[in-house]
Amino acid sequence: MERRKIGSAWNTARQQYSIFMVLAFLFVICSRANPNFLSIANISNISRQLSVTTILAFGETILIIGGMLDLSAGSVIALSGVLAVASFKGAVAASVPVWGALILSFAAGVATGVACNIVNAMMITNFKVPPFIATLAMQTMARGAALLYTKGQNLLRLGDFVVFGQGSIASVPTPIIFMVCIFIVTWYTLRHTRFGRSIYAIGGNEEAAVASGIAVGRVKYKAFLFNGILVGIAGVLFMSRVNAGLPNGAINFEFQALTAAIIGGTSFSGGIGTAAGTLAGAFIVGFLDNIMNLTGVDSYVQQIVRGAIIALAVIYDIWAKGRRRTRSSLGDIDKKGVTA
Amino acid sequence: MKTHAPKFLALFLAAVLALTLAAGGKAEAAQYRVAYIARAQADSFAAWLANAIKAEAGKYPDIELSVFDGEANDEKENGMIENAITNKFDCIIVQPNNGEAQRPYVENVVKAGIIAITTNARIDGIPGSSSVDADPYMQAKVNCDLALTQIPQNAKVVVLNGPPGNFHADERRRAWQIEFFDKRPDVEIVGEQIAHWNKDEAMTFMEDWVQSQSQIDAIVSMNDNMCAGALEVVKGNPKFDKLFAYGVDGTAEAVLLIKEGRMTATCMQSAYDLAELLLSSTDKLLTGAEKEINTDIGNPLITKDNVEDFVKILEAAGAL
Repeated sequence: MERRKIGSAWNTARQQYSIFMVLAFLFVICSRANPNFLSIANISNISRQLSVTTILAFGETILIIGGMLDLSAGSVIALSGVLAVASFKGAVAASVPVWGALILSFAAGVATGVACNIVNAMMITNFKVPPFIATLAMQTMARGAALLYTKGQNLLRLGDFVVFGQGSIASVPTPIIFMVCIFIVTWYTLRHTRFGRSIYAIGGNEEAAVASGIAVGRVKYKAFLFNGILVGIAGVLFMSRVNAGLPNGAINFEFQALTAAIIGGTSFSGGIGTAAGTLAGAFIVGFLDNIMNLTGVDSYVQQIVRGAIIALAVIYDIWAKGRRRTRSSLGDIDKKGVTA
Repeated sequence: MKTHAPKFLALFLAAVLALTLAAGGKAEAAQYRVAYIARAQADSFAAWLANAIKAEAGKYPDIELSVFDGEANDEKENGMIENAITNKFDCIIVQPNNGEAQRPYVENVVKAGIIAITTNARIDGIPGSSSVDADPYMQAKVNCDLALTQIPQNAKVVVLNGPPGNFHADERRRAWQIEFFDKRPDVEIVGEQIAHWNKDEAMTFMEDWVQSQSQIDAIVSMNDNMCAGALEVVKGNPKFDKLFAYGVDGTAEAVLLIKEGRMTATCMQSAYDLAELLLSSTDKLLTGAEKEINTDIGNPLITKDNVEDFVKILEAAGAL
């Protein structure tokens, strides 16, 4: 009886936390593969490198749970980032105090992210454009706008703007602080707010959500608003980290964010996903990239290994969840006495 | 909203179309129509070159230049070459995304009796076509010659490569192998990765190398963007005060880094020189003064000794 209980608890843990077990396993392997992996400086490096795409991944998680996605995130990062940089430089040139210029530039970046995402939401909810197409259109428009504004040239001499991406508070790099805060906000939003419950309901079955009185259009707008804020913040952090306004930067970042969300167990069919899973997914990719660089794995081999391990992680996660569903269905049948 | 949506959409599309036509429809009675098909204007050097070519074309009243963006997509760029042939341009200048993919299309330009010029990088061996380029091997070699005298014995270096298959990326790496690494077997490459010309990718690799390597004496980068990314990581770290860093392109950022003493050298691949030579060659070919031109711009090396001259050039051009 005791063994059965332990077995059942193990099965539950394995099924619910499978992706975290993959992450822990990878962590142990990496620690043994290279002694530098476990150093605080290296873990800080990984977290800092991941911060921008992980912030994007939280936005993608909310959208995917709601049955949508955002393919424009990378381009909107470029646009919001260069506009934030330009605002900072303009404000400094106009003798605005540095703290004022920093606030202004941050607000400009976030406002740009929000504006682009409101247009996405409008296309999707008001004009019924599929999210894939709407955000693909925004991807092209935002990139074009960033290139047009900068004439394709990098903006240099950022001055104190770099504090967002290169600064630290109590020895913790600011991008990591942003990432952790946004994780907490995303987790809370999904778990403890009406909006969070609504987004799961819409992604699970939109018609049922409408029937149950959820204002689907308004919830979708809110989801894109949330995503826009995150993309804007990511734009500011990215440009600050690289110490330049790069209109051609962040290309394909949306796919890295989607990868983190999907590895983290977010279902593309909607209605399933968690912030913690996405964080774990991002770190799985980050650990992999880091250990391969530390051990000097060839670039071409890195691509093969990255793809294979991503596939294996997702296969394991699906397999573990599949077993849970099978067991729970059998349990239901047992309770009803059909198989008794 | 439902009933008005199609009207709004139609109005929006009509406005976009009208603006596009207004922007593109200011054709003047120029004698020659020239198409410049850029590799990808999202690539900062390609954008710089496109801007320089537009500015240079303004000096030739008999030339009307149209610029197209290949968006780093072979299909798209090939389609643009075909469209330019159909539109009967007098001259088509192609900056290939992938030389071999564009080769048959440039051959079709020649077959159509249109003047074909390839640039940055040239496509060799197309009879009847011309080319204006910089020699990527020489761009790296001038850096190698300096590095041979600077990099200490038994040094540990990291190498940042451009996209595989890219002519300039491959030739620059080949030059480093032949002109430096083969001549200095004492130097060890402790890290080598492809950062696709990108500053942020180079930063990530350098952050990892700084953790895994106890000693790094030099950064060998196939362009300035990646070199600047790697240098960003070690900024302010006294352990890397004597780090040597080499790049190619002569971007505004690299020139500033050399001026600050953080970067060692770069070879100037001047978009202005390239544009000037391209337009003068185009003019000679269009007026019949020459039948075929294959020429290169120079490969000046920028170091702390001559950096002020290049700062002045970039300031005059508005790049700084």
